Amino acid sequence: MMSNRGNNMNRPEWLQQYDLIGKIGEGTYGLVFLAKIKSNRSKSIAIKKFKQSKDGDGVSPTAIREIMLLREISHENVVKLVNVHINHMDMSLYLAFDYAEHDLYEIIRHHRDKVNQAINQYTVKSILWQLLNGLNYLHSNWIMHRDLKPSNILVMGDGEEQGVVKIADFGLARIYQAPLKPLSDNGVVVTIWYRAPELLLGAKHYTSAVDMWAVGCIFAELLTLKPLFQGQEVKATPNPFQLDQLDKIFKVLGHPTVDKWATLAHLPHWQSDHQHIQGHKYDSPGLYSVVHLSPKNPAYDLLSKMLEYDPRKRLTAAQALEHEYFRMEPLPGRNALVPPQPGEKIVNYPTRPVDTNTDFEGTASIQPAQQASGNQMSGGMGGTHLMGTRNVPRPVHMVGGMQRIQQQQQQQQNMAAYGLASQAAAAAAGNIPMQQRGVAAPPHQQQQQQQLRRKDGMGMPGYPQQKSRRF
Amino acid sequence: MNSDATFSLPNLLCEEDDSSLTEVKTKVSQPGSDDDQYIRSLIEREAESNDYVCVCDDEDSENWLKCARLDAVNWIFSTREILGFHFRTAYLSLTYFDRFNSKRAIDNGKEWAIQLLGVACLSLAAKMEEQTVPSLYHYRAQGYNFESSVIQRMELMVLATLEWKLYCITPFVYLHHFFSKICDEHNCNEFLISKAIRHILDFSKEVNLMDHRPSVVAVAAVLLACDDQLTRNTLEFKIGVVTSIHSLEKECIYQCYNLLKKTETKKNNTPESNSFDLLSNHWSPSSNIGVKRKLTYNGFEQKCPLQKISRRL
Repeated sequence: MMSNRGNNMNRPEWLQQYDLIGKIGEGTYGLVFLAKIKSNRSKSIAIKKFKQSKDGDGVSPTAIREIMLLREISHENVVKLVNVHINHMDMSLYLAFDYAEHDLYEIIRHHRDKVNQAINQYTVKSILWQLLNGLNYLHSNWIMHRDLKPSNILVMGDGEEQGVVKIADFGLARIYQAPLKPLSDNGVVVTIWYRAPELLLGAKHYTSAVDMWAVGCIFAELLTLKPLFQGQEVKATPNPFQLDQLDKIFKVLGHPTVDKWATLAHLPHWQSDHQHIQGHKYDSPGLYSVVHLSPKNPAYDLLSKMLEYDPRKRLTAAQALEHEYFRMEPLPGRNALVPPQPGEKIVNYPTRPVDTNTDFEGTASIQPAQQASGNQMSGGMGGTHLMGTRNVPRPVHMVGGMQRIQQQQQQQQNMAAYGLASQAAAAAAGNIPMQQRGVAAPPHQQQQQQQLRRKDGMGMPGYPQQKSRRF
Repeated sequence: MNSDATFSLPNLLCEEDDSSLTEVKTKVSQPGSDDDQYIRSLIEREAESNDYVCVCDDEDSENWLKCARLDAVNWIFSTREILGFHFRTAYLSLTYFDRFNSKRAIDNGKEWAIQLLGVACLSLAAKMEEQTVPSLYHYRAQGYNFESSVIQRMELMVLATLEWKLYCITPFVYLHHFFSKICDEHNCNEFLISKAIRHILDFSKEVNLMDHRPSVVAVAAVLLACDDQLTRNTLEFKIGVVTSIHSLEKECIYQCYNLLKKTETKKNNTPESNSFDLLSNHWSPSSNIGVKRKLTYNGFEQKCPLQKISRRL
């Protein structure tokens, strides 16, 4: 680990394989950066950095669960985790994903605010089909997402996978019967607009049907370019009763009744907030008029079955994929952005804005003394180059405020002095090349790998006997 | 609580709070075909993971490691009790522990490393399984004072070594299903379930968990809880009707059944000691393994009466 002292490239090995472009997102979990792989400049990677956990908490449970889940899954319509990097210096975690240029939040917004035009039918249907296809895969692997919303549904930009939909952000996802914290815990803010009525009514036990409700809301939003149930969120902990959100739903779908939803009477808020909930009476469901579809339209039929109150009667992802809607012209396709029929207008969606003025270091919570070294990031892209192809700044949904791209001719990317971290350990333990599930290496190869691992240095800074090769 | 509802796993049932987890479901519901499908998918998953090999002798592992492992196991079980974790959390942490050791070598004599590994594995298992996770300051290893940053580094090493594959199946997930299939309806009670859980826990102290598939351990424990006089033939007859486990090796189940039985016999032949304090002496590296085993068994037993065992499956 001393070998890197005095080296200009005072950065851990894993970081050296990337050229950092800039920051593309920020959320409660941490930050997301755009980077390119040096050895293959055409390949873009999104690097998600987890916030440091509180001192004394160790590795964050959210990070552990998200990575654990992503390691279990492999599907064309689910975002692909390429690598997990451990920065041994400050013990921070970085996840490298295949980069997706677009997301449904931005696509919808572009149609609503820029082109003033509905998304074409082919694109809506292809997005919905792929979203359901990915969800069906997750559900059949006993995983529920729990936080589906337009900004978590990515769409690939130019390249071999153009127009392919990817479900992302598994920070709240759960496998099997893993225990759940209430959704409002951990400071995690989940938008309530896509939340299923059983959750809003305080259900303690819920099923994968909550994801299907969210898909229904997203489907309607793709059709109308407006969130279907835009309730005012009550901000309080823990998990306050969201009356306005329920009210918005009831207004469109009518009041749920015990006749149609037998377990309704057992839901906590249905009893305790009886008067509030039943304050307004909405008898005439008006979903078709909100989404401007005839009740005879198969799209309407599919939508209304996803927005079924009773979670047990709600359509499953597998059932939805079999729906008549997907068998009618235009048929859904793999490239959701470019219809196969010639003559259809192709919408050019803007690329994601990149804050090229931020680097990993600016957000790394390491000691100031160690931050002081100013290494230039080799191959850092100039700001002007980016500006040529990128649009004016726009808010990123997952970001708290506006992000501005700052023009800089030759930007000096100031990278952190990660060099103190054990390079050997970073290489041995930090970089885990992801393997497709079910494509296990042949036994002899596994054995080799295992032997290699055993031979690797196990430097753990601050440890007794850290020089030992065998830990 | 409706036990049918908690069985509807294929609907991805989730529980928002702890209330239902602490309740015992003594009534074993009639499993539907969905349960079969779920159990089959779990068994398939075990096979895909390549983690487990059906090795029924564990003589080749180093003796010092066995000794250090037992210390770590005892610490894990006592800390589990203090921090109020589920048994499955303790078992899961042992799975991580054994998997780590199957992938990396720890030098002879480095008991501190083994202890630190135990702490990190329990903390990781808690983060996977428990609703509320205590801060690392609560994990007090006897004899060593590990700083939380040191524990965190070890957590990262474990995560990297296990390639972040922390979702591991434990035998507990199978218990109700196998009881409902193997036991007679009227015989299957809380006592038997507790007994099976105790078999599994005692077993996990003695063996490398990588040598036994969780489903095999679960079937064997259920069989042993129902009847400790099974022969190879009667055992095969009993499990023959359980279609969900047809893919499992009968030989493995039989050997595991005998190992479980051996563990119990050994345990029952040791004298009881009431005065043993579970929290002391667990990390003394030079302890005599034989003596220790006796003492901690009984200590463990006393701190975990049957009632409690069944309550926190």
